[in-house]
Amino acid sequence: MWAYLDHSLGPRPTEELEAHLETCKRCCGELEFSRELRGLVAASSGPPLPDDVRYRIEQLLGTGPDSGQDR
Amino acid sequence: MKLFPGSVWEYPGPATRLPFDGMPTRPFDRFEEMTTAMLEAAEGSAGAADVTPQRPFADVVREYLDRLYGYCIHLCGDRTDAEDLLQDTLIRAMRSYDGLRDPEAAKTWLFTIATNCARDRWRTRGRMLDTVPLEAGDPDDDFSLFATIAIEDPFPYSDELHLDFLRLFEDEDVQAVFATLTPAFRAPLLLTTIHGFSCKEAAAILGVPIGTLLSRLHRGRKQLERGLWDYAIRRRLVTVSDET
Repeated sequence: MWAYLDHSLGPRPTEELEAHLETCKRCCGELEFSRELRGLVAASSGPPLPDDVRYRIEQLLGTGPDSGQDR
Repeated sequence: MKLFPGSVWEYPGPATRLPFDGMPTRPFDRFEEMTTAMLEAAEGSAGAADVTPQRPFADVVREYLDRLYGYCIHLCGDRTDAEDLLQDTLIRAMRSYDGLRDPEAAKTWLFTIATNCARDRWRTRGRMLDTVPLEAGDPDDDFSLFATIAIEDPFPYSDELHLDFLRLFEDEDVQAVFATLTPAFRAPLLLTTIHGFSCKEAAAILGVPIGTLLSRLHRGRKQLERGLWDYAIRRRLVTVSDET
């Protein structure tokens, strides 16, 4: 299911799955669940970059042409 | 070949390693090395204007910095390691920026460098990015989270028990589960599902054939499903009949 949502399933299995989904309520439920699960993972961006690290990187990047930028 | 033979890598050791939130942040400790690399890169590009990418390096870094840090965090599993990996990545990226001919490929290029840096760093510690468990039958291969939730029925009064299960997970819970996945299976999942690379791009970033990538991606998803269920049980987010 997840491979189908990732578009990483081959054309033949994709056709077969889509034909199956037309008649199978359970698999439609599983597809919906897989979509939500995939969404949960996709939205997991992790903790934000700590301010002090961003600041140091900005300082470093500021050694280039656009210095004077604070954050 | 060591890229930076003069640099001293001081691994902070387990005593100072704390998970994500509440951890005291610490400054980049190789700031001078990064500044030198930046200046070297600037000097190098001045004499080679015809092959220099059009976008300034700083712009490229700013565009992908948060995403890159997220990748580092998920790969490493803790902040200290992730910050060090980010430093390694930026230093190496600065030094090789002139080699980037196609500005459109900047994201793939940065993630490839981060992956290679992680591989190199881990190798020195006996930890491998590419090691795949050898057992022929994967214990997680037959596991279906969808079926398990239906059978165990942790929310007997719910009309949408599967979605209720997923709603139990905050971002930090998902991250904790990520950290339990085998790195070789975790990386393809991070690259495709979180960072939006195609399977082909992810295979190139990891330096593996597409078939290997697809197989690892599948095993990563299965480990994730098992990991979410085990986490929910262990943290008592759900209780099931055979749990006491």
